[in-house]
Amino acid sequence: MRFKSGLIPLCAVLLASVAVPTMALAAPTGTLVIAENETPENLDPANATNSTVDELLLGAYDPLVQFSAGATEVTPRLAKSWEISPDGLTYTFKLRDDVLFHDGSKLTAEDVKFTLDRLKAAAANVLNDMGPYASAEVVDPTTVKLHLSAPFGPFLSALSRIYVVNKALVEPHMGDDHARQWLSVNEAGSGPYMITAYNPTESVTLKAFDKYWGGWDGNHVAEVVFRYITEPSTQLSLLKSGEVHIAPDITVEDKIALKTEPGFVVDVGAAATPLFFDFNTASKGPTGNKKFREMLSKTFDRQLHLDQVLMGFGALPDGPLPANWMGHEAGTEQAFDLEAAKKMVEENGWKGTTLTVRYLPAILEEKAAVEQLQSNLAEIGITLNAEGMTWPAQAATLQKVETTADINMIYSFPVFPDPHAILNATFNGALTGAKGGYNWAQYSNPDVDALLNEAASSSDSAKRAELYKKAQKLIGEDYVVITVSNPGSVVALSDKVEGYKYNVAHHQTFNYMDIGLKP
Amino acid sequence: MAYVAQRIVFSILSLFVLLFITFLLSHVVAGDPAIVAAGPNAGAAKIALLREQMGLDKPLLTQFAIYCGQILQGDLGTSWFTRQPIASDVLRELPPSLELVFIAMLINLAVSLPLGLLTARYAGSRFDDLVRLGVMAGAGLPVFWIAIILQQIVAGRWQLLPTAGRLGFANREFSGATGFYLFDSLAAGNMNVFLDTLAHLVLPAFALSLLFTAVGVRITRTAMIGEFRKDYVTLARAKGASEPRIMFRHVFANGATPALTVFGMQFGWMLGATVLVEEIFGRPGIGRYAVKAVTQSDIHAVVAVVFVVGVVFLLANLLVDIALYVLSPRKQQRA
Repeated sequence: MRFKSGLIPLCAVLLASVAVPTMALAAPTGTLVIAENETPENLDPANATNSTVDELLLGAYDPLVQFSAGATEVTPRLAKSWEISPDGLTYTFKLRDDVLFHDGSKLTAEDVKFTLDRLKAAAANVLNDMGPYASAEVVDPTTVKLHLSAPFGPFLSALSRIYVVNKALVEPHMGDDHARQWLSVNEAGSGPYMITAYNPTESVTLKAFDKYWGGWDGNHVAEVVFRYITEPSTQLSLLKSGEVHIAPDITVEDKIALKTEPGFVVDVGAAATPLFFDFNTASKGPTGNKKFREMLSKTFDRQLHLDQVLMGFGALPDGPLPANWMGHEAGTEQAFDLEAAKKMVEENGWKGTTLTVRYLPAILEEKAAVEQLQSNLAEIGITLNAEGMTWPAQAATLQKVETTADINMIYSFPVFPDPHAILNATFNGALTGAKGGYNWAQYSNPDVDALLNEAASSSDSAKRAELYKKAQKLIGEDYVVITVSNPGSVVALSDKVEGYKYNVAHHQTFNYMDIGLKP
Repeated sequence: MAYVAQRIVFSILSLFVLLFITFLLSHVVAGDPAIVAAGPNAGAAKIALLREQMGLDKPLLTQFAIYCGQILQGDLGTSWFTRQPIASDVLRELPPSLELVFIAMLINLAVSLPLGLLTARYAGSRFDDLVRLGVMAGAGLPVFWIAIILQQIVAGRWQLLPTAGRLGFANREFSGATGFYLFDSLAAGNMNVFLDTLAHLVLPAFALSLLFTAVGVRITRTAMIGEFRKDYVTLARAKGASEPRIMFRHVFANGATPALTVFGMQFGWMLGATVLVEEIFGRPGIGRYAVKAVTQSDIHAVVAVVFVVGVVFLLANLLVDIALYVLSPRKQQRA
């Protein structure tokens, strides 16, 4: 069933016709058009780890708690308040009692439990980052308890991508695929916007839900349209002609030009998506040697990369975590020093070594970083073969240490702004590429693992910060990665757009629910 | 009749060869779709489970046999990523691409046939040289480049045609039963949408047609030159037939056969080449769907797209072959 013939637009029409007279305050007006270069795979909240899916669901659904754009702590959403048991194993949420789904029915604790039960049964990707979540229990219509099998510090943060679905609407479609097919093209949320048209290779339309529990105070748009435009020059043309208001994917050169052009704004968000060169630490080849990795880690000029590739849009990395994050430890990685590296190569007779790096050539930043590393290494007598691949092919090579290249490039895309989301995924020995994770350095240090695990199970942020600092020191001493960059999220906007703010917890999405258009 | 049956059987066989090659190549190139489907921080156990659910743990030939069995039952499978029946995904994406190819083919024929005929008639003249020069340029220009230039100048600077998309903003809620907006808008009596659809098709169709038109002109010219040299033309001239009558009634009618065969093939090739213009002009369609499927290793979706494009290609050729056979007086006599 598609939207065009579905239930939701019908509801929308009915609701719109009855709700208009009750609107006391400002009504949302205008249409915000956002260009997006990648098409969404589906609308299923189970896939909210994927940003092209997340950006559509962010306005259509509500989680229990959420990071507002610009915030680094979660704030209440469906949950009015919560209590954490002293052992950290039970979270009791008190729910709002005024939340309506888009079909007009009331949201209760049953819907929260149904949502989590469904995700668990479907082995949803969005639960990959939920740590030891165990089960949900309905206490009364506005109280729900979530049980964990072990304490998990970032649990609340992780809940920010658990979008609550309408049980009554979804349950009939559960079938044997846990309603995945149905929820992939239908929406069952309670958020400020309803998805009214879903044409995944062309456009997706969302319309303001006038019975949204949060109300519509302030300047908001009545309609949001995502247009899927791959070509950067086309995005630019559409931005200039006023057909789109937000164009995130135009070239860096054009973004620089737009900075000084009247009518446009270029926003640089402090993103936390570090790009890494991961050294294969488990290799029987040269990168298995810590000393060799020490030499390698001195061969990349981050400042040059920031200036010439990112054109200054970003922050100079100092270790794997963004410098303003809780638990950041400064100075853990080697500075660029090609002379020192050259000396080490000569002393150890490493001249003539040949290494391989695998990367995604479709991503210009990776390509440019590989080229710099290649040329620097050539200068000190080391040959670097670059193998460009697609993501699935590259990921497949990481499943065994033997097929893992000496160096792999990978971005970390933390799903919530917490050191755990970057450090655990990148360095925990339980999540090596060979074990199906994104620790592509195949790095395993029991001391680091113990620190990361202890930090994850604590909810005392001062203690966690200390543990993460220690872990970063050890990681630095093992020369596991080069943190290449911390690119900013650079978005070009029409100056008619009011209220845009980058959301670090939902990278590559837009806070259209907070945006209004100037007349 | 036997000829037609033989052509059909041959077409079906070649389709399965095509399927097998695509299936094989996808598996070799794709890496591991289960990792992609599992998402970040999934862990080996979940990836292994998915691999089993997706049937990727079975030997390749078994997977292919299962897949062919499904296709024979008319089932293209379910996409691992859109989670929809691939047939319904493809049915949604095919109309915008076919519409684009139809218009591009019209432009192609409208330019190739007359230019081919005229350059054959006036072979060796200035006019012939000029056209040949144009054709060389047309064949040499990369499609993506010409598409961007057209977009920047015709749509951007002169604002004569829309920059991107399938319909203008005002018509964004239009939808029709078939998905062919040109047809749907006419059926609904909505001239506004019809013209809007057409306006959005002109630039992409022109960009798509350019390379094919260059080939089309050359093929037509070559086919026609041979005809002009034949005895019956000399005879017709001797009998005092007018030059236009000779060109259209005799030469064109007889010489069109080899050219038409090529145009039939071009139709399928065009459908396979829509992706570049679809990406640049932000249009939905089978090319874009295929690219997404390839980057995600959605193997069944990739194979399905190849299958459908293959079917369209073979159908177009079959139709041309049958049409030529039926129209050819000699074969009719023999039959």
